[in-house]
Order: sequence, then C-alpha cells, then structure tokens
Amino acid sequence: MSGCPGSKTIDFSEKTNQEGSETGKRPSQLRQWPIQLHLVSPMAPYFQGKDILLAADCTAFAFGEFHKDYLKGKSIAIACPKLDSDQEVYVEKIKALIDDAKINTLSVMIMQVPCCFGLAQIAKDGAEKASRKIPVKQIVVGLEGNILSEEWI
Amino acid sequence: MQKVLNREIKELITAYPEVGRVLEEYGIGCAPCSVGSCLLKDVVGIHNLDPQKEATLMYRIEKAIYPDRKISEPVVDMTKKAAPKLITYSPPVKKLVDEHVLIKRLLALIPSIAEFTESSLKVDKNLILGCVDFIRTYADKYHHMKEEDILFKYVDEKAEIIQVMYKDHDIGRGYVRQAVEGAEKNNKTQVKENLLAYRDLLTQHIKKEDEILYPWIDRQLSTTQVGEMFRKCNEADASVGDELPKKYERFIVGLEEKFLQEVTK
Repeated sequence: MSGCPGSKTIDFSEKTNQEGSETGKRPSQLRQWPIQLHLVSPMAPYFQGKDILLAADCTAFAFGEFHKDYLKGKSIAIACPKLDSDQEVYVEKIKALIDDAKINTLSVMIMQVPCCFGLAQIAKDGAEKASRKIPVKQIVVGLEGNILSEEWI
Repeated sequence: MQKVLNREIKELITAYPEVGRVLEEYGIGCAPCSVGSCLLKDVVGIHNLDPQKEATLMYRIEKAIYPDRKISEPVVDMTKKAAPKLITYSPPVKKLVDEHVLIKRLLALIPSIAEFTESSLKVDKNLILGCVDFIRTYADKYHHMKEEDILFKYVDEKAEIIQVMYKDHDIGRGYVRQAVEGAEKNNKTQVKENLLAYRDLLTQHIKKEDEILYPWIDRQLSTTQVGEMFRKCNEADASVGDELPKKYERFIVGLEEKFLQEVTK
C-alpha cells in the first residue's frame, strides 16, 4: 500500500461495462477550443459570464457521463496539478476568470487521489485573490468513475 | 391511498389526529402549522426522507386512516442504519441561513424584553421601537425581501409551502404593527403578547426554512441558478450597504448586554 496513490497500478478491467446502455450516440458537449488552462485566455468570449468547469485531466476519462452531466452548458479548462508546471499562472488565470471574465460559477472536478486536491486548492487561491465573489463547487470522482462527492466550498 | 395523498394536511390531521402524531415522530411538524393547506404527498416529498423511512411512514399513515384495512408492512432492512443527514447549502442559501442567526438572537431576548415591559411602570417606547426597527429593517427589508424577491422566484411561488412562508411573513408584520400600537398607547399587555407571538411564529418559521424549505429549494437549483442567485443577493446587499448588517449586529449586542445585566441584577 506504499507509494503515491496517484500513480499506483490498479486493474479494474473486470468491472468495466457493468451497467448502463450503449445505445444512441452521445454528442460532444464541448463548445470551445483550446481547453488546456495554460492555453486558454480568460478574455476568450466563451468564458464571459459563463459557468466554468475546471477539470483535472483524468476526470473526463474516468467519469463516463462527463459530457452529458458536467460539461453540458459550461465552458471548460483542464489541468493536472501533479504534472503541470508554472501553476502560479493558473491561480492568476482563475482570478482573471472571476474578475475580468465575470464568470457565474466555478466547478472544480478532481480525482479522489490526494495530489488532485491541489487543483481545488488552486481554484480556492484564485477565488480568494479575486475581488468578485462567486460560488465554487468541488466534485470528486472515484478511480472507478463514480461521483464520490459534490459540494459547494 | 392515492386520494389520501392528495388531501390537505390540516384537514387530514383534524380527521385523523394519529396522522399528526406519526408525522411528528418523523420530524414533520405539520400539526401546529398556521395554514396546513399543503397536500400530504408534497409534505412527505419535501422532507426528503430516505426511501425506507418514507415507506414506513406511509404505511403508518395508511394504518392510522384505515385501521381495519389489510396493508402489508414494508420490508425494512434494519441492518442498514441510515447515516445522519448533514444539511449543506449552496452559497447564496447559506448566506440566508447565516442571517437567521442574528434574528434568532433577538427572538431569544424577547421573553426578557416582555418580562421587563411587564415589570416596568410604563412601556419603554425606545426599546420596543428599537426592536421593531430591527425586525422591519433587518429581518423584513434586508432578509425577507431577498427571500421574496429572489429565492422564492426560483420555485413555483404557488406551491403551498411558499404560500405558508408568505403568510408567516404577513402574520409577523401584523404582530409588529400591534406591538407598535401597544407601545404608542402605553399598553403593556398588547406589547408583550404581540412580541411573544412574533417570537413563536418566527422560531417555527426559521426552523422550517433552515431544515425543510431551503434544502428543498437547493435541491432544485441548477449550478447556473446558484451563481445567478448569488449575484442577485450580493447586489441586493450592496444596495443597502455594508453598514446596515453591522449596525443591527451592534444593536443586538447592546440588547444582550442590557438584558444580561438585568438577569444578573
């Protein structure tokens, strides 16, 4: 059980496809490009006054209904708090999204591994530095793709 | 049973008092409600009980109404202990819950104020009008108006539970008018009775909001609506300025100091 939980090898291939239906096509709910937090500009039109989803890179792969349940109707930025560099830029971008793009809400979606909570911390730091106040929500995704918690922070 | 679910709760409790007692056991305090026109199905739905608890409640209500009817008891897995529900609020709703705290501090002081009024030679008009100013400006204008102008607009305002809240607000305003009239006429009994009635009403009203109504509204709000409501509440607060809540907090602190001294005299 030692080592980093974020990079520990776990195989749950036996459990995949246990529920749900594969019928029907699921259209992408993505309405913008780019999406990586280093690449996006807070002044991009798709952020102005919108609800923003700040998603850890792995969440979209882990959570099967990502597009339908969380991306739909929102603009997105993605980041990895474990591997990305220059994360102080991220804090400034969150602050700019709140103050300059005047976003409506910020939902931070992270994996349950401890290092991923760094992204929630980045969001909190950016929100605290901003002069405007907005509701910030944290959604935690389990390693097997279930939603573990969803709460306003 | 479908017919029963669509009946008004007050009428049902009047016809079958046992229903009131069963609801009370489940923390659903409809019996003393001032209106009681909510339908049984809405009353049960709004409390968001876990499915097992709700099934048992419905079974007991049905038994209370039709004692001779053969009704199969729901299978309840007693090994699964329901986790205690922690109420969490969205940020704008949390702000309204936090504002209740200052109002509850005044409500806690009302018995002392009523007793002081009773034992004084004449009504302390400044004291009573100070409390009335708090109620009218902080509780009513600052707080209730955000509920009425913003929060309630996100749900069906015709819903019985919302109508009950509006009615409570109106009844409360009536008690306050009566208390002012009592203070003007130096009628100690009128002041005392109306302040105590206001206290009873608001205590129940705030409990209903914190534990039932607000969580029910929160469950229906989308993320976009939460953000929008947060902004509207902030704009409403900004329109009255930062000083208003601070001023009324100082007023309550002053009252607490005064009546603590009265008690320890």
